[in-house]
Amino acid sequence: MVARRGKRAARDSEDRIPSPPGYTAIPVKFSEKQQASHYLYVRAHSVREGTKSTWPQKRTLFVLNVPPYCTEECLSRLLSSCGPVQSVELQEKPDLAESPKEPRSKFFHPKPVPGFQVAYVVFQKPGGVSAALALKGPLLVSTESHPVKSGIHKWIRDYADSVPDPEALRAEVDTFMEAYDQKIAEEEAKAKEEEGVPDEEGWVKVTRRGRRPVLPRTEAASLRVLERERRKRARKELLNFYAWQHRESKMEHLAQLRKKFEEDKQRIELLRAQRKFRPY
Amino acid sequence: MGPAPAGKQLRGATGGPEVMEPALEGKGKEGKEASSRKRTLAEPPAKGLLQPMKLSRAELYKEPTNEELNRLRETEILFHSSLLRLQVEELLKEVRLSEKKKDRIDAFLREVNQRVMRVPSVPETKLTDQSWLPAGVRVPLHQLPYAVKGCFRFLPPAQVVVVGSYLLGTCIRPNVNVDVALTMPREILQDKDGLNQRYFRKRALYLAHLAHHLAQDPLFGSVRFSYTNGCHLKPSLLLRPCGKDERLVTVRLHPCPPPDFFRPCRLLPTKNNVRSVWYRGQSPAGDGSPEPPTPHYNTWVLQDIALESHLQLLSTMLGSAQGLKDGVALLKVWLRQRELDKGQGGLTGFLVSMLVVFLVSTRKIHTTMSGYQVLRSVLQFLATTDLTVNGISLCLSSDPSLPALADFHQAFSVVFLDSSGCLNLCADVTASTYHQVQHEARLSMMLLDSKADDGFQLLLMTPKPMIRAFDHVLHLRPLSRLQAACHRLKLWPELQDNGGDYVSAALGPLTTLLEQGLGTRLHLLAHSRPPVPEWDISQDPPKHKDSGTLTLGLLLRPEGLTSILELGPEADQPEAAEFRQFWGSRSELRRFQDGAIREAVVWEAASMSQKRLIPHQVVTHLLALHADIPETCVHYVGGPLDALIQGLKETSSTGEEALAVAVRCYDDLSRLLWGLEGLPLTVSAVQGAHPVLRYTEVFPPTPVRPAFSFYEPLREQSSLLPRPDKPCPAYVEPMPVVCHLEGSGQWPQDAEAVRRVRAAFQLRLAELLTQQHGLQCRATATHTDVLKDGFVFRIRVAYHREPQILREVQSPEGLNSLRDTPASLCLERDTRQLPLLTSVLHGLQQQHPAFSGVARLAKRWVRAQLLGEGFTDESLDLVAAALFLHPEPFTPPSSPQVGFLRFLLLVSTFDWKNNPLIVNLNNELTVEEQVEIRSGFLAARAQLPVMVIVTPQDRKNSVWTQDGPSAQILQQLVVLAAEALPVLEKQLMDPWGPGDIRMGPRENVAL
Repeated sequence: MVARRGKRAARDSEDRIPSPPGYTAIPVKFSEKQQASHYLYVRAHSVREGTKSTWPQKRTLFVLNVPPYCTEECLSRLLSSCGPVQSVELQEKPDLAESPKEPRSKFFHPKPVPGFQVAYVVFQKPGGVSAALALKGPLLVSTESHPVKSGIHKWIRDYADSVPDPEALRAEVDTFMEAYDQKIAEEEAKAKEEEGVPDEEGWVKVTRRGRRPVLPRTEAASLRVLERERRKRARKELLNFYAWQHRESKMEHLAQLRKKFEEDKQRIELLRAQRKFRPY
Repeated sequence: MGPAPAGKQLRGATGGPEVMEPALEGKGKEGKEASSRKRTLAEPPAKGLLQPMKLSRAELYKEPTNEELNRLRETEILFHSSLLRLQVEELLKEVRLSEKKKDRIDAFLREVNQRVMRVPSVPETKLTDQSWLPAGVRVPLHQLPYAVKGCFRFLPPAQVVVVGSYLLGTCIRPNVNVDVALTMPREILQDKDGLNQRYFRKRALYLAHLAHHLAQDPLFGSVRFSYTNGCHLKPSLLLRPCGKDERLVTVRLHPCPPPDFFRPCRLLPTKNNVRSVWYRGQSPAGDGSPEPPTPHYNTWVLQDIALESHLQLLSTMLGSAQGLKDGVALLKVWLRQRELDKGQGGLTGFLVSMLVVFLVSTRKIHTTMSGYQVLRSVLQFLATTDLTVNGISLCLSSDPSLPALADFHQAFSVVFLDSSGCLNLCADVTASTYHQVQHEARLSMMLLDSKADDGFQLLLMTPKPMIRAFDHVLHLRPLSRLQAACHRLKLWPELQDNGGDYVSAALGPLTTLLEQGLGTRLHLLAHSRPPVPEWDISQDPPKHKDSGTLTLGLLLRPEGLTSILELGPEADQPEAAEFRQFWGSRSELRRFQDGAIREAVVWEAASMSQKRLIPHQVVTHLLALHADIPETCVHYVGGPLDALIQGLKETSSTGEEALAVAVRCYDDLSRLLWGLEGLPLTVSAVQGAHPVLRYTEVFPPTPVRPAFSFYEPLREQSSLLPRPDKPCPAYVEPMPVVCHLEGSGQWPQDAEAVRRVRAAFQLRLAELLTQQHGLQCRATATHTDVLKDGFVFRIRVAYHREPQILREVQSPEGLNSLRDTPASLCLERDTRQLPLLTSVLHGLQQQHPAFSGVARLAKRWVRAQLLGEGFTDESLDLVAAALFLHPEPFTPPSSPQVGFLRFLLLVSTFDWKNNPLIVNLNNELTVEEQVEIRSGFLAARAQLPVMVIVTPQDRKNSVWTQDGPSAQILQQLVVLAAEALPVLEKQLMDPWGPGDIRMGPRENVAL
């Protein structure tokens, strides 16, 4: 009862809908049948002075709390009443930079975990943003003309989607590998060109492809060199030769025993505290 | 041996500001002392957590004192390590009697002495005339047959002496007993009292009269009867002080004959002292045959005679050597933890002390040895000698009139003669008990030699009750059936010898019978010893059948369990008749493939779980056939938990077979992958990575054949899509299989490109498998699903350098270094560690056939407690594997039941906070490496997960417990296991009690 009264009150004046400061709440429902609704929290996209953002100022609407059943097309359709929409992008977290334009591979990037997301909606004109802020709602996601699947139908659809087309996959792999091979070939050609040619200060870059291969510049390799050096030095050193060395090694042994003894005592103390010495 | 003075200045882990304190206080020595003492008092071991030790340089390298050096040297020579020394000292402190208590006990003993001497005498009457006895007391002896010659009168004892461990100082808490010997005056006894239980009757009457008078004294809280070492002819009187001292001490009064009253030559094991005419009312069968000897009867009389001489011997040998006394105390604790000292025929503290004396006299133990060394030497002696074949003797004289050891071997199963050369100290010890002691000693020696870190804990602090130590347990009840068994087995002479105690008389022959029948299936058979009852003086002594249940424990030999055939001799051999007689109707003539015709017994068992229960069939058959004990009296506890891991439809198997089918299918698939032609690179390894493939999936998968009417085709018949209007299709879990491809220069060195190449391989693999073997496959970018024989395998192609590529990071200076990233760790886990673990555990299952059952029961239980989310499959499998790889102080379990009990024990008692659980798979970790792991663990404790499991492949990170359980979940599991263990053990030990075993682990959800 309380909830329903609250909703009625909300319908009377939208200022009463609680929302984060600076945001406007727009109720959104899955379909006609539902009584309760989710809320989209919207705001005009703006950044502080000096911060770079790829989203166009004034024309971009920032939307919080987009429910998982609401796709990009769907959002675009819902907001098209406010003005022509240029693009919609759903993201897990707010991100100032527009994602790279090239289409991400659908085979190699696992789908994000479904959940509530944020969206950047870019209108063609600045008027769209203000119209969207004034939107009353409630917006309906699943309608007669654009039904959204649910339940077993959704699962069957998901399953069908998860079955990849081998041909498409093969084609994608082939194009990627071609591009990759080309890139590698170019790099190699460049490296070959530079081989043995001094730069303007007279330095020659040494690479692995030269006639006398050198050590790779990796941590493991440098550690190995250091270790070899240390062993070489250790071989030359005399141990237990001088009297003081004798004395010191004995003392070291004693110190070890003492340390062990201390540890053991601590252990015993602990066991005694836990009453672990009662045999039965 | 007090604590060294150095100990006072030692400190535990202290916080920063406290370390500064002594420096601020200046060089005043007193101040330093006081503050460090305060610290040791104030410092509780921080929340029960061990801290890595931090000692200042000055403390580590200060000049050692003489005493410190001495102590260090002593530790090195006399003990294994300083930890062991400290532990032993703590334990001894815990079990030894304090001086204060000793004073109170001494005072009580003086009182007892006075009271006993003041008991009034009674005029002489016939033994059969017991009307003089007052009403409130009954004779503590079964007087069967009642008629016996002789007269009795009561006179106060000629002498009252304390004998036994109390005087020696080897007596241990709790349940302190002080034995007092009362020498009966010579006037009470007559000639020939050794015959026909007359001496025992008099002894009992003596005690009855004494009991009546002492019971009226307010000094005593309780006056009760009991049996000396469980012997039914020898009651003793128990006196306890009244009031708050009631639990302090129990004084046991043992009447004994005056010295030199009986002539030892009449009591040799070959002599008869219970006449058949008197006992059975008939002369022994056949007129000319001699009376059967009564070795046990004779021994009991001799024991009374020798009480004092034994005390003298013990006190001269042990008197001044503290190390020997410590050793005896440790041995007593050792025996007690194994329940070997309890009941009739147990290895009592007295026997162990005598054994120590024997070893001292043969110079195997020196009086300067420490308690630990004594323990070790005695265990070594027990483990390497066999007293059932070569008896030992404390007797030094070579008097030809003394009987030979061979005589004793004929009469008793275990022989250990005392210094007189006539008395066998181990007369009541059965061969099974002795073998059990030997077995335990051998296990303990192995444990001590393995230099395990917590040897002390496992050796002396872990109780080994029968249900936890033995694979299968069987209960015989009611015991009155054993009386019939005695008649069936023709044990009349033994009954005569034992004074009618049919339980002890039947025990030896029954265990021999079962041992012979179980043969190669059996490793060790142990029996519970009848407990020593205690009863009120106004009651009749308890009947033999009142000692409850006889429990037998079977330790099985896994390799013998698989055979369903008992092969006998060839039909024309003379042994065939014996075999037929032994097995009765189960023995059949069979013709074997090699043409031999032999006697054989075949048991019905189709599945592994049924084969494990063949001993049940053997036992019930033999008991019914030879001992006349019907099946209803035998309750065999071997597989009550099997029901929990049976599938819904299957009741005959616990799933090992179904798992084997899946594994075989996987083997076929891997062979196909190996032989695949047309792959650009060859396959270098195929490894499974699913619980099914290591036999630890709780419910094995069943092959699925989809009903086509429930589906519609998707994309030209290559896939099926379920119809929304049909029932939901069965869930088929794909089993991941990792397929490593060989390394090659052609592999790209870029993470993204490697993924593309792998995807290309997945596609190619699917194509080839479909083309060459007609398998249904579906390739995606990361895996290829293959349907084979109704199982779905998920093949992942892996490139061994890929985790390395993911780990590569280039520093600004252009130096390539390797850093773990979440992606690389995940890949490493899935493609390297998981398959490795799977194959190692698969190997473990081949070694220990019970592993599968134990691991699955454990997982089933954890999930039934709704804690399955917190624990990965792998972590629970590893805990189960630890039970097999580190079974100390037990042996690796051979049945799921005992394995599961030990799982609960391990989970509930392991100190997860301060110890990593080291699972030494394939024995790859050396002792030094384990020490290193432990110290590394302490240093890095804060960064490690709550539950740390270390394997040779995973020494630092504890991969399988990284993401859980949380501390709360683990604590919950520990609590639940600690609750479930006693409940389950009680149900298994008392099958007649209420409660349904099958419900047990599930019901525990509510606990």
